[in-house]
Amino acid sequence: MKRILFWALLVVFGLLGAACGGSEEVITVYSGRTSNLIGPLLEEFTENTGIEVEVRYGQSADLALLIDEEGDRSPADLFISQSPGAVGFLAGKGRLRPISDSVLSMVPEGFRNADGLWIGISGRVRVIVYNRDLVDHSELPDTVFDLTEERFRGRLAVAPGNGSFQDFVTAMRELHGEEPTLAWLKGLVENEARTYANNTSIVQAVGRGDVPMGLVNHYYNLRAKAEDPNGASENYYFPDQDVGSLMIVTAMGVLSTSEDPDRAERLMRFMLSDSAQLFYSEQTFEYPLAAEAVPSSALPPLSSIGLATYDFDRLGGGLERTKELIDESGLEYS
Amino acid sequence: MKADSSTPEESADIAKPPLPNPPAGLLVVVGVLGLVFLFPVGYLVWGAIGLGGDFWGTLGSQQTLRPLRNSLLIASSVACSCLVLGTVLAWLVARTDLVGRRIWRLILALPLVIPSFVGATALLSAFGRGGLVPFVPRVEGFWGAFLVLTFLSYPYVYLPVLSRLSTTLPAMEESALLLGSGHGRTILRVVLPHIRESVLAGTMLVFLYGLSDFGAVALMRYDTLTRAIFSARLFDRATSLLLGLVLAGLALLVAGIERKSVSEPRKAPGIGRDQVRYRLGRWRLPSLVLVMMTGGVALAAPLAVFLFWVIRGSSTIGVGYSGITDGLGFLVGPVLNSALASLVAGVVAVVVTLPAAYAVARRRHFLSDLASASVTSVFALPGLVVALALVFWAISASGPLAAVYQTFPLLVLAYVLQFGAQSMRASQAAISALPMGYEDAALTLGVGGRRRFLRIDLPLVMPGLVAGGGLVMLSTLKELPATLLLAPIGFQTLSTRIWNAAEDGFFAEVGITSLVLILLSGLLTWLFVMRREFRV
Repeated sequence: MKRILFWALLVVFGLLGAACGGSEEVITVYSGRTSNLIGPLLEEFTENTGIEVEVRYGQSADLALLIDEEGDRSPADLFISQSPGAVGFLAGKGRLRPISDSVLSMVPEGFRNADGLWIGISGRVRVIVYNRDLVDHSELPDTVFDLTEERFRGRLAVAPGNGSFQDFVTAMRELHGEEPTLAWLKGLVENEARTYANNTSIVQAVGRGDVPMGLVNHYYNLRAKAEDPNGASENYYFPDQDVGSLMIVTAMGVLSTSEDPDRAERLMRFMLSDSAQLFYSEQTFEYPLAAEAVPSSALPPLSSIGLATYDFDRLGGGLERTKELIDESGLEYS
Repeated sequence: MKADSSTPEESADIAKPPLPNPPAGLLVVVGVLGLVFLFPVGYLVWGAIGLGGDFWGTLGSQQTLRPLRNSLLIASSVACSCLVLGTVLAWLVARTDLVGRRIWRLILALPLVIPSFVGATALLSAFGRGGLVPFVPRVEGFWGAFLVLTFLSYPYVYLPVLSRLSTTLPAMEESALLLGSGHGRTILRVVLPHIRESVLAGTMLVFLYGLSDFGAVALMRYDTLTRAIFSARLFDRATSLLLGLVLAGLALLVAGIERKSVSEPRKAPGIGRDQVRYRLGRWRLPSLVLVMMTGGVALAAPLAVFLFWVIRGSSTIGVGYSGITDGLGFLVGPVLNSALASLVAGVVAVVVTLPAAYAVARRRHFLSDLASASVTSVFALPGLVVALALVFWAISASGPLAAVYQTFPLLVLAYVLQFGAQSMRASQAAISALPMGYEDAALTLGVGGRRRFLRIDLPLVMPGLVAGGGLVMLSTLKELPATLLLAPIGFQTLSTRIWNAAEDGFFAEVGITSLVLILLSGLLTWLFVMRREFRV
């Protein structure tokens, strides 16, 4: 009984403490980017401006669902997403408010929503990660469409439940049409592509040699090499603007229910400032998007990759259809 | 129940008078409890109807049936293996002369705290080509998921059975042994019937957990219903909600079956003397090997992998940002938060579900059966579904529930909803094994109702309650989805830190944080579960 009383008191004091802790200037962020990839930046923002940033971390899709469920009573001001899919979901639900032109203009067109509802922060490029002991560089295909060929039977890993993979399939649909996309997905199934839970587990599996190659975002392998420099996994970028080397943006949008959108925009401006953009390229191995920032020397320059050109704005919509196609192909059930 | 029977052997044959109806006050409490635990299923039904979901169409589609079959297969296989493993281990450390049983008793409870996605990642990194121990083959798919889930969830059986064994009653065992019944026969005929309730309760918890798990099956590439629920959650809400209902339905079905197999309260002889301790003899070595292997696979192997990650990653610290570069100070807050949340959730879960457990075990009434079913149904649901359900109810409510949105009390409610089945079933098993004779004696002496409960029943069932609380505590320590969505903003726990680090491949940080999590759970389990209650 005493023990229960003790903990009950602790809870009460904890609540009192939480209630008294509020400062005047606070902004609430729901972030699909994990704390390692954004926390230091937010701290810097608070130091510079005196505005407290309260962050809720989680999976982008889960946080989007949370905001949708919260409706008008959402405490969030700003939503940061790992991929355009989740911001697109909220934009489609009318939960985002237009961003002012002065912020939008910091990022080139194509990396933001045409209606100004969300804006890109940083870029990740779709690549093949391959095990250099199991795959000769010359074997690697020129286009993602070749992965359905016999020589890749049982050798490719994909993560069909992952947002970036779905964004990539959406782009493929828009650029090459629905039928070739479905045929490609079915081709993967027939070619015994192996499905994994997410990008990280694919990079791990490739590094161990469980599977020779996989479709992922470029920065996961750079992270893996930072932990294990002797790892056998390498990145391969598809040449000639192939849709396989699509760049996927991480994105942010202001909630329509935000009580202080100006403050949220201050944070957005900071996220697109030179110092923040440098953080992405130096610390998290991503491509900066703001017009003036330069990518880290550890990354191959975008001009050398031959990036797929695609209007990212369209990625947000149409994901329901992509999901249907993936379901129809049966890729997730292998 | 019956005051006339003098020996336990006779009691089973004597016709039992019907149990009295529970007091109205208890029924009201139990009814309210049942309603609160209906929040998640209510949310699923409400949402699915609102979105115009086609239940039978979704249920009958090939895209549901295959994962459904896999879910059932993995959950029931893991339940069977945990039934055996958990029971044998509990008996070995509680009732034999096994070497080092005191320390094993604690160690064997701890694997429950390892989040399943971490356990799966560790197992994948441990064995096979490119692993730490390359000559042991790596397992994936069904067997991979089976291994991970077995070794992480046998404590659902182990803890309740251990608590039961430390309170079962030596007299009958002694009589049996004295009368020349061999050890094997005594265990089969006397000990097993005594721990039956706890074994069944634990096994059902394992089955439900197996249904709800996402991390291990996803990483082991075994396609289950939870994958379908997660995969559809954003762009095919109706399907996602309907599949959640399927899981809840399965939970109810299984709980119903288990309910049928639970016996009526039995009369049992005295308590409080030293337990019978069996000499293992030539089984000494094999038993020790079994215990060591379980501890080895379930705890030492992950620990070794965590250490390996920490050592490998620490040589590259400074390449890329990681919390580790700042030293371990970043873990102080999460350690305190984890400890606070898990202890509060453990205590609250036991207290809140106790009336239902008591009502179900002692005074059967359709209302208490309904409450028990609603508590049970929640545990089969993925944590994300429970969390979103609470968001839905808290946001659409006005008044107190809305006021606590994303505060600590609501987070505790989320834990209690998710894991209440654990404490309820552990308590229920303890109460139904309570000797009825004491109640009669108390009644004869004019001590009734609440006073009898507090003075007589409660001390006797305490080990069972503590075991249930321990299960909730360990489950809360690793809980992720509800913590991410419902915790007060900025409230980080060890498991949210682990998730944050794992999400982007910061394995050194996953390793060090997991090590701290296991240390913390060991400390808490020893302090609050083992040290006081399981004096074997």
